[in-house]
Amino acid sequence: MGPEPGQILAESRVVRPEEHQTVLVQRTLRSGQSVYYPGNVVVLGDVNPGAQVTATGDVIVVGALRGTVHAGAGGNEKAMVIAFRFEPTQLRIANHISRPPEGMVAAGQPEVARIKDGIVTIETFLTPGERQTSSLRVSQSLLDDHEEES
Amino acid sequence: MGEVIVITSGKGGVGKTTATANIGAGLALRGYKVALVDADIGLRNLDVVLGLENRIVYDLVDVAHGHCRLKQALIKDKRFEGLHLLPAAQTKDKTAVKPEQMKEICLQLKEEFDYVIIDCPAGIEQGFRNAIAGAEKAIVVTTPEVSAVRDADRVIGLLEAADLREPKLVINRLRPKMVRQGDMMNIDDIIDILAVDLLGVIPEDEQIIVTTNRGEAVVLDDRSRSGEAFRNVTRRIMGEPVPLMELERNGNLFTRLRKIIGLG
Repeated sequence: MGPEPGQILAESRVVRPEEHQTVLVQRTLRSGQSVYYPGNVVVLGDVNPGAQVTATGDVIVVGALRGTVHAGAGGNEKAMVIAFRFEPTQLRIANHISRPPEGMVAAGQPEVARIKDGIVTIETFLTPGERQTSSLRVSQSLLDDHEEES
Repeated sequence: MGEVIVITSGKGGVGKTTATANIGAGLALRGYKVALVDADIGLRNLDVVLGLENRIVYDLVDVAHGHCRLKQALIKDKRFEGLHLLPAAQTKDKTAVKPEQMKEICLQLKEEFDYVIIDCPAGIEQGFRNAIAGAEKAIVVTTPEVSAVRDADRVIGLLEAADLREPKLVINRLRPKMVRQGDMMNIDDIIDILAVDLLGVIPEDEQIIVTTNRGEAVVLDDRSRSGEAFRNVTRRIMGEPVPLMELERNGNLFTRLRKIIGLG
């Protein structure tokens, strides 16, 4: 038996419509191509250098992320970027703009970027069971480079 | 009914015209009837590379505007039986021709020829749109440089948007020694980004400069490495499965000896 209509479950939370709207991009995004979506974006392919993905929610790339990605556009600080191969040109989450650390090599496994304590951090994407051994890398904020702009 | 192939790259100077001339000559050498079309209006040079500059009377723009018949504008090559050139106009610009007119010209050409090969101008503007309008297949030329690969990626995206799916890739001017030392992108790096089928790899070769300046084709040169590579590309276009040639075969006797005794 499923829950009654209107019944409040212990694990439930309020989901705004824009949070669970997701678009599926079933191709590789090449240089010059871009996707904008008010919600989440899942790319089944690569995001090549020169391509751009912008979403108000999360961005998931089932492939290599080499282009520019902006998750949480509009200010959602909880937004995440997940990619199977994580080597973006530039990474933006909400109002944070960052680039990968100099000389960063892709981890060879899925990674996730999110804001932790006000800093964009990139770590190995782990299923709940694997979480103990997570490695943490801090991306370099571009705001340091452009302090006069802020 | 022939096949219309456009040779494009996005970036300039990667070897589109050289590739067009040599692939055309290579196919003609195999007995096919080939028409080369120079779509680079205003900056034509396929005629120069083929050594046919002084034979031009009518050009692509004349044909598009009905100033002459297609047959009148086609120039027969002086060495290769079956190779013909439709030259570009030099005194006009890219807006002198519309994509529909190019389509019509390609339709007419492919009735007569086995292969119609279009030399696309650099860039992604009107000249590019004209060049791809009548094409059924595309060959993308790149060099092992990040800028050229980036532009190739952009062009592949535009080709796919224009319904020219699964373009084939030619990597030009590869220097095996630099690749081995890690100073140049290798074939796998390029394929990794572009994710298209490889049609061939042309090693850097001084002989190309010599033959191009003389208005000759390097495919005729049996001893040249790039000529061999272009002959292989030609055979793959014809549908023959040809393995990639070993790029570092021509080491000198000493290095080959070292390799044999296990020091290389």
